Amino acid sequence: MSATAQVDFNAMSDDAFRAEAREFFEKAYPENLRFMPRRLSWAESKDWWVKLSKKGWLAPNWPVEHGGMGLDPAKLIIYWEETERAGIGRMPDQGVTMVGPTLIRFGNDAQRAKYLPKILSGDNVWCQGYSEPNAGSDLASLRTEAVLEGDHYVINGSKIWTSMAHNATNIYVLVRTDKSAKQQRGISFLLLDMKTPGITLRTIRNIAGHEEFCQVFFDNVRTHKDNLVGKLNEGWTIAKGLLTFERLNIGSPRRPLQAFEQLDPLARARGLFNDAGFVDRYTALKMDLNDLGSLYQRYVDKVRRGEALGPDISMLKVFAMDTYQKLAELLLEAGAEYGAFADEIKLGDEKIDLMTPFYTSRPGTIYGGSNEIQRNILSKYVLQLPS
Amino acid sequence: MSQQDFTEHRAMLSDSVTNFARGVELARVRKLRETKMECDRAVWKQMADLGWLGVLVPEQYGGMGLQLGDMAIVAQGLARALVPEPVTAVAVLAARVLTDSKNDSLKKKLLEGLVSGDILPAVAWQEQAGTLDVSKIEMQATPFEGGFRVNGSKRFVVGASNADGYIVSANSAQGMQLLWVPRDAAGATLEFDTLADGRQSGTLKLADVTVSKDNVINAGKAATESLARAIDHTAVIASAELTGIMIRSLEITLEYLKTRVQFGKPIGSFQALQHRAVDLYIQQELSSAVLADVLGVLDGVNANEPDAKTRSAAASRAKARCTDAALLITRQSIQMHGAIGFTEDCDVGLYVKRAMTLAAWLGNGNAHRRRYAKTEILQGAAA
Repeated sequence: MSATAQVDFNAMSDDAFRAEAREFFEKAYPENLRFMPRRLSWAESKDWWVKLSKKGWLAPNWPVEHGGMGLDPAKLIIYWEETERAGIGRMPDQGVTMVGPTLIRFGNDAQRAKYLPKILSGDNVWCQGYSEPNAGSDLASLRTEAVLEGDHYVINGSKIWTSMAHNATNIYVLVRTDKSAKQQRGISFLLLDMKTPGITLRTIRNIAGHEEFCQVFFDNVRTHKDNLVGKLNEGWTIAKGLLTFERLNIGSPRRPLQAFEQLDPLARARGLFNDAGFVDRYTALKMDLNDLGSLYQRYVDKVRRGEALGPDISMLKVFAMDTYQKLAELLLEAGAEYGAFADEIKLGDEKIDLMTPFYTSRPGTIYGGSNEIQRNILSKYVLQLPS
Repeated sequence: MSQQDFTEHRAMLSDSVTNFARGVELARVRKLRETKMECDRAVWKQMADLGWLGVLVPEQYGGMGLQLGDMAIVAQGLARALVPEPVTAVAVLAARVLTDSKNDSLKKKLLEGLVSGDILPAVAWQEQAGTLDVSKIEMQATPFEGGFRVNGSKRFVVGASNADGYIVSANSAQGMQLLWVPRDAAGATLEFDTLADGRQSGTLKLADVTVSKDNVINAGKAATESLARAIDHTAVIASAELTGIMIRSLEITLEYLKTRVQFGKPIGSFQALQHRAVDLYIQQELSSAVLADVLGVLDGVNANEPDAKTRSAAASRAKARCTDAALLITRQSIQMHGAIGFTEDCDVGLYVKRAMTLAAWLGNGNAHRRRYAKTEILQGAAA
């Protein structure tokens, strides 16, 4: 690791750390990848990944002894805010966001020594195998099975909606290891090399025409039992324990705000600010976005104070994604005839992409637990309504 | 005040309001429509003794000299219990206008009386429905040797029925005058319209009412600015009341969902109602988050007093969200109760009606979105 990894960022003032992060992100991140309306592919990400890694800034959430920045929650939020501000794209970052923290908390020394350095170097790119064709919202009913034969688990089944699996070198999966136990109890967390014999995949084209997710098939795939993370049959707890920051991040108002900024040039070019009906809807949405900011800030402040986030954080995702979709819909409507154009449109000197926010916002109410599942969570654990 | 003292003192304030609210009888609220007893001066005196009327009033006039964030706690707690007394109209709207006065002797008399509960001043500024613009008035103050002769009428006066006097705004050659008109002033007449929650909306008619120079509270640009600021602050505290209303209404409803059995199960086990309850809860929490943010802006947590544009935009954010959320939550509270929710005996109806009254006061959701659009969106977008 480089010398900068030794700096105690947490001892810096918030302002000083923010200034340093801002300067670095502004100078070092490639201009052509700023404010991308979609996830970056690995090919697009690689240079930035390595640059971050060399500076010791790739894994802000990992402890220093594992090659991370060891940021406390307050500094971590500043780091995020500055990446958002600079328009830094979402890389295939499962290794940093999920695998690293999982191994640091639940893995053993051998697993950490084997995998963490390769995540940092960019040699390993991870994807997440949770959902299955028959286990989507009802994830705990998953049936991909791992049976111990000697020192190896033999895996059969299939995972689906695996984002960027075709870019990945490794996959972490939830598998059923005890069929007799109650649903959540018989699930384990395994690490696999995508090149293991028996793993095949097909890409799935989404309605935008992009191939971002895949189905992965496991046909008598053998992996050494050393690749079990944590204890046998405790995979569900591991998977659940890591979602806190993810859920906060997903509720950030930055992404919808970015899309909102496209609405201004369009509305000006089409004279829509003279249209009272449009102004009403525009204003209501703008105020929704500001209010989302207030709700987000409440959770950010909680994290800063070192408080744990409870199940009520689900409401942030519900409101953020509902608002994001409404905004994308207004953008299309404001486009009138242009609202059906598949590609970027030109209005005077302005180039505006109307369709991408629609396609990016659409799955937001489905992935990571659909908004209906989030409402079930809120109903059960926050309002404590009976089942 | 240290952060810890600050938190502790707000917790104490909250406790004292909760204790008071526990003793409030809804029977009186339920009968308001017939009794018109919207302000019981004994209750008023009790609240004055607890210091609540003086939360925002400087200490030199007997007040506590605290912030809007503190007043919001009081207002939310009282609204939860549906206390009908016009605390917000007096302790925020009137108190703010009086605090800005440069007429020291009048200011001292009225503020001390306001804080002790002995003088109940009502602000009569509005003449037209649907505007928050303090300059849209026709009441005229014509100078004569000893002061002004005032003509015109004011509408939608909150707290008018028990007021001991009125703070009226009027046009004059020297700009706006804010004047103190005692209740029994010759030429002043009052009429009332009953509101949804049984409280009274006052119309004050002034025909050649003479106001002496001693009773000028403020004048000119200072008067306009003081009134506009007071109205924004009051709209925010009304928003705090609306959060109290929605929180209690949803509490009652969730309790009902857990206990009412149909089809052999508590109705709260049905997903259609669960998801609706969750959506109401999200609106409630959104309202609280926005209110907290806005109180922070107005109390100058990050900087000093915000400029007028920032202040009004913030106030509009709070009033728009809290109004719409309170209306939605209270109306859905009826729906989730079913037929019983539409009866006089069921408490949720009282919350619906108070929400409507508070929603219509000082700009409903639509009015505040339009005001927000005017300054925050259309001015920049025209370019």
